[in-house]
Amino acid sequence: MLYFITDLLVLGCINSIMVVGLNLQYGYTGLLNFAFYTYVAIGAYIAAVTTIGPSTVTGVTWVLGWTLPWWVGIILGGIAASLLGALVFAFTVRRLRSDYLAIVTVSVAFIFWNAINTYIPLFDGGTGLFNVPYITGNAAISSEQYSGIMVLLSAAILALFVWTSRRLFRSPFGRLLRATREDEVVTNAFGRPSWQPQLWVFMIGCFMAGVAGGLFIFYITAWSPYAFLPLESFILLAALIVGGSGNYWGSLLGAFVLIEGLAELSRFIPSFGNGADVGAIRAIIIGAVLIVVLRYRPEGLIPERWLHWYSEAPSGLGARIRAIGRSG
Amino acid sequence: MQPGHRARLQDPAAPAINQFLLAVGFGLATASVVALAAVAVSLQVSVTNFINFAYGDFMTFGAYIAWTVAQRGVNFFVAIAIGGVATGLLGVIANILVFRPFMRRRVRPVTLLIVGVGLSFIVQNGITVIWGAEPVRFQQTLGDAMHLGPFLLTPGDLLMIGASIALLVLLHMMLTYTKFGKALRATSNNADLAEACGIDSERVISITWFIAGILTAVAGVGLVLQESTLDPTTGFTELFVIFGAVILGGIGRPYGAMLGALVVGILTEVSGAYVNAAYKGSIAFGVVILLLLFRPQGIFTTAGKMG
Amino acid sequence: MTVAAEDTVLDIRDLGYAYGGSWAVKDCSFTVERGQVTGLIGPNGAGKSTLIEMLSGTLTPRVGSIHFNGRDITGASPARIARLGIARTFQTPRMLARLPVIENVVLAAPNQIGENPLRALFWQRSFRVQEAALRAEARGLLEWLGLQDHVEQLAGNLSGGQRRLMEIARALMAHPKLMLLDEPTAGVFPETGRLIATRVREIVGQGVTVLLIAHNMGFLSAVADDVVVMAEGKVLTRGPLDVVREHEDVIAAYLGSASTKKMMASTGAAPDPGGASG
Repeated sequence: MLYFITDLLVLGCINSIMVVGLNLQYGYTGLLNFAFYTYVAIGAYIAAVTTIGPSTVTGVTWVLGWTLPWWVGIILGGIAASLLGALVFAFTVRRLRSDYLAIVTVSVAFIFWNAINTYIPLFDGGTGLFNVPYITGNAAISSEQYSGIMVLLSAAILALFVWTSRRLFRSPFGRLLRATREDEVVTNAFGRPSWQPQLWVFMIGCFMAGVAGGLFIFYITAWSPYAFLPLESFILLAALIVGGSGNYWGSLLGAFVLIEGLAELSRFIPSFGNGADVGAIRAIIIGAVLIVVLRYRPEGLIPERWLHWYSEAPSGLGARIRAIGRSG
Repeated sequence: MQPGHRARLQDPAAPAINQFLLAVGFGLATASVVALAAVAVSLQVSVTNFINFAYGDFMTFGAYIAWTVAQRGVNFFVAIAIGGVATGLLGVIANILVFRPFMRRRVRPVTLLIVGVGLSFIVQNGITVIWGAEPVRFQQTLGDAMHLGPFLLTPGDLLMIGASIALLVLLHMMLTYTKFGKALRATSNNADLAEACGIDSERVISITWFIAGILTAVAGVGLVLQESTLDPTTGFTELFVIFGAVILGGIGRPYGAMLGALVVGILTEVSGAYVNAAYKGSIAFGVVILLLLFRPQGIFTTAGKMG
Repeated sequence: MTVAAEDTVLDIRDLGYAYGGSWAVKDCSFTVERGQVTGLIGPNGAGKSTLIEMLSGTLTPRVGSIHFNGRDITGASPARIARLGIARTFQTPRMLARLPVIENVVLAAPNQIGENPLRALFWQRSFRVQEAALRAEARGLLEWLGLQDHVEQLAGNLSGGQRRLMEIARALMAHPKLMLLDEPTAGVFPETGRLIATRVREIVGQGVTVLLIAHNMGFLSAVADDVVVMAEGKVLTRGPLDVVREHEDVIAAYLGSASTKKMMASTGAAPDPGGASG
């Protein structure tokens, strides 16, 4: 039973990290990125190939094959995803109408998927990578205990990224992001080209995606192209929209409810005659919920509000402690 | 994006020009299928101004209906017709239930795209629930491939080419000579102006969805004849090839879409003959990307949408 | 390219812009002198707004050149032009409707170190001082323009006249050397128009140069040192307002008749066909 809960939490946290990253890009800045899951995948792959060493099984190949510590691998995964994101952004920065931009990003996602799936020397093609070791190395740990450890790790990283989002939003940078999304003409007219804050946000969001991928692969200990079909990006987007875009609580809600909740709920749905039904029904529900939410509550379950982030009083934990000290 | 039956037909020993012409022939067959779907998409985009992401799944739906009916022993051509009508109705229902409420509120195109994605989830997975995820085959074998000049085509290919030409000619005549055709062209040019002239644009849109549905279903069947198998993802994987054709010809321009289909069909088959076939899909996506980035108005440009 | 005089802020030469095949602006040349309010007037369709769009970088001129303080800015991007010291308002006020008024204004201030995300993440204290100063300045500007009661309101809730006042505050926040005002009093109450006129003169007194489009002759006579008249994309004439509005070609351009001349002389209002006048 405990394992069930910890498993749920780990996956929930990892999915939340992804949605928080996507929120940074789409929810807050209005950049639609249908290739988001590709960055997750890159993070996963890079985290693996930099830590598991070279292949020892014939017929199974991958690039690099370094043996760095696991946490370095995760960070490298994030950086790789971030750099790739910058590259893609640079090519698509031409002002494309947002639905055309969406089509371009799906195309990019598919091309990457196709390349990874087909070009075996890269990441072992369609078979993928497996037997990725635990981050705890050779220590004798049961899966339940590992799951517990991963909960702590992923929750900590999630908290870090939520804090990051919050700090970015509650600043002049956050104001600029919001302004760029509301009316680009105005921000341009006052000296701020749109692509600058957008590029930052794109890279940071992709970094988060990459880190989530690294966590994922160390938890599931395997990864293959079938784990990151372009449709996964749509599901993340649906989670973001339903939960409420433009704010991180909405992201968390969307991730836990839509992705996790449904995944778990589907265990309780009896399957019909045919095989892949559980996943199919889940997808139908996601599609239907997405359409209904867009129709009746497009801002999502937790709507975005302007946060009056600036206050005259000094903020921060230190200041609060000093204030208590003074009054006590 | 499977190589399909064509992979078996390639003969490495044949001289290069023959290889090329063979590929062109395959391209024509592919183009005929793509043309129907691309014209359907263009028609719908021209009157509604957004791209429906669920079209691939409409194709799959049409093919499945035709297959189910054909399984019961109904004549092949009748089965296609029934599939067409069913998909037409699906299009109309999708328009009324799903898209129209959004269009009435004049939302951003991005929202409609996402709605289309949601619809795609529903249709594709609905098909999976009803028919299962395992691939099925059309029992009909219409005969083997035969040489026609430099080309190597199956009767299925020829059927599709013929059907495609016939339907497109019918469409052209409808657009040019009938009252509805004129109403459609007016609405696509300027919906508000058309309304002011007394054209009920919502009705035009509904009927356009129906026509698009029929074309899409026939394209779906054609696709199955080419790929030999049918599964819930068949149509969706073709979606970007179709988008490539649509964008090449100019979004919202059905005549351009026909030409675009020709180019895309031949291009993917020819390049697929020289490059690892597994990358064929990426070529279509690459075309879409390059077009949208550098020439979103298509290759055959003049101002205005239809004609 | 050498410029006429050191006091010339804006030097426009042979500027032209065409939408498709028709020229909205053609052979347009004039200069704007430092510390002056230059009005830009003319009937609708004269090309005034197109000219402003070229000056602010939104449109790239087909032909001709623009020099700002001696520097060639033809075809530069709006962001670059803004950074060089030109601020503008819009014909229909544009603002960030879901943000409070004060945020709208503070946004315009250049060189905000808090806009660097690394500082936002790691070193918040570094920009709080600047932010406090900017907010104080913004409040001051808003108060000066009579919007002190609306500072924290969402900008979308402002009335039309208040939006125009906010746009002026925002433009000033950028500490510009040149302000381009596109119909700053269109659709406002007369007392707001008078307030704007007074404030514009005070702004100019501080050394800012102003080029503005307007239709209301009363506003123009209160505010403009001289006017440039455009019609059908070309500059018709230039001079002080009283002189210019007696000019035959100018009257002909507007509506062209003796009765119009009488109407203009008696009421001081421009016979502006279909345009907004305050």
